[in-house]
Amino acid sequence: MDPFLTSVLSNIGLFSFLALSAWLLLIGGEISFGQQAYFAIGAYASGIASAVWGWPFAVALALGTALGAGIGALVAWPAARLSGVHYAIATLAFAELTRASLNVFRYQRDIDGYLTGPDGANGFRDIRWVYEAGIAPGTYLAIIATLLLLVIVLIWLAARLNVMAQLRMVGEDPILAGMQGIRVLRWKIGAAAAAGGVAGLGGALFAHMATYVEPAQFSVMTGVHAVAYGLIGGLGTAIGPLLGVLIDVGLLESLRSLAAYRMIVFGGLVAIILILRPRGILDETLVTKVRSWARR
Amino acid sequence: MMLTLENLSKHFGGVRAVDDVSLTIKEGEIFGLIGPNGSGKSTTVNLITGLYTPTAGTVSLDGWDLTALPQHSRTSRGVARTFQNIRLFGNLTVAQNLWVAQNGHEQRREHFLSRWFKPGGEHGPDIDELLQFSRLYSKRDVLAGNLSFGEMRRLEMARALASAPRVLLLDEPAAGASLEDAELLAERIRAVRDQGVTVLLIEHMMELVMGITDRLAVLNFGQKIAEGTPSDIQDDPQVRAAYLGSGHDEKMERASA
Repeated sequence: MDPFLTSVLSNIGLFSFLALSAWLLLIGGEISFGQQAYFAIGAYASGIASAVWGWPFAVALALGTALGAGIGALVAWPAARLSGVHYAIATLAFAELTRASLNVFRYQRDIDGYLTGPDGANGFRDIRWVYEAGIAPGTYLAIIATLLLLVIVLIWLAARLNVMAQLRMVGEDPILAGMQGIRVLRWKIGAAAAAGGVAGLGGALFAHMATYVEPAQFSVMTGVHAVAYGLIGGLGTAIGPLLGVLIDVGLLESLRSLAAYRMIVFGGLVAIILILRPRGILDETLVTKVRSWARR
Repeated sequence: MMLTLENLSKHFGGVRAVDDVSLTIKEGEIFGLIGPNGSGKSTTVNLITGLYTPTAGTVSLDGWDLTALPQHSRTSRGVARTFQNIRLFGNLTVAQNLWVAQNGHEQRREHFLSRWFKPGGEHGPDIDELLQFSRLYSKRDVLAGNLSFGEMRRLEMARALASAPRVLLLDEPAAGASLEDAELLAERIRAVRDQGVTVLLIEHMMELVMGITDRLAVLNFGQKIAEGTPSDIQDDPQVRAAYLGSGHDEKMERASA
């Protein structure tokens, strides 16, 4: 496969994890500008596991996911009591705190004569497990795609078991959800844990593809984009945030003629779509229509 | 004895929205709660359902104190309500709006799915029956936000009934309804009561209140000023003076006619 295409598709896949993470919280009624923090946590934790500790790749991925989920739940435990702007600010603050901490986080060991591990603002290089295992870019793309598919299947399963509908109830009207017997706080923390885990997995995959990560990559703009993907793609289905990523990374970033104007075009697109379709392109009304049409 | 409010008070700063109200609503009756705007009717409902914490006093159901319980456990103990300004999950379908989470003492663990979500619960009303009862069966897969006003009102009551309540609190269910709709509503309320559900009805439409309630209480400035059968209340001079006033006399006559 063409290396450029492989790299674009891999990027689409990786950003999709981040977009799905922010989308899960949007469904639960919260806007988080801080999902990049879990992406970073997943990247660093899995990188340390495979490069410094020499753990297998799969276990490193699992660690990144678990840590993302655990810290997501921990942050949500107080933050879920906030709502709207306050929640957004809290997540933003946590993400910046994470980035600032990574800027001073040093944990290096001598591996084969090289100091390996996070080196503060200088970043974390030589996360080489995938390279050393001889995994080709195309194969790695397949790994990303498979894990992304797994996450989407899990969300789809959750929808089949009406778990998603319950989360949507919490997101739409927490008071009414409480009246329908739903334990709102638990659901909010659960959604944050799931979102943290998905972002952590994406971050872990990112670190092993890039082999080098640094705190500056996990800036606020990354988190803002993650929210925007769900908002433009649509809140009606998990395919929505993927569509958002496809539009931004797939179309705007990759069409080189557009690359210079990417932020302008993307910003304008977000504004137009939010005016025309406040809940995104694939919103609940459209998804419901398609579903009832498909049933016939 | 069923739903009991004892010396219930809710103060917002210096405002006594509900002031030392005691009520006993008997099992299987339709009990009306009336009063002018701002007399504390909705606040009372919010206290019963746990939306507000009372300043003083208790709410109990069959002798069980509900006062300190969170909303979701009041639901599982059989308290359900509708809202004055319709509250639905607009981006969920009509059928999805009727789902109720089972937890608390009613949790049934033998069925894995029922722990998560089961329409109406194991012993709750059948979701299709409920939709038919509310004349919404054909709309079951429509988003609730796309319903007409009247359909939304019906869905709201169905949503409340989905949790198989023992007490149903209706906060102005006839607001914005025509007289004809109100008659259909009265029929539905009676049908609900005949299923064994106790009803607390807050309503401004006197024709409806006087026509279907067994007993009613009148609130004014947060205090209970009268309680009795519809005919008692209509004859009560204090009620006439405080709530119904001179302008409302005509309406009362019409209702009692």
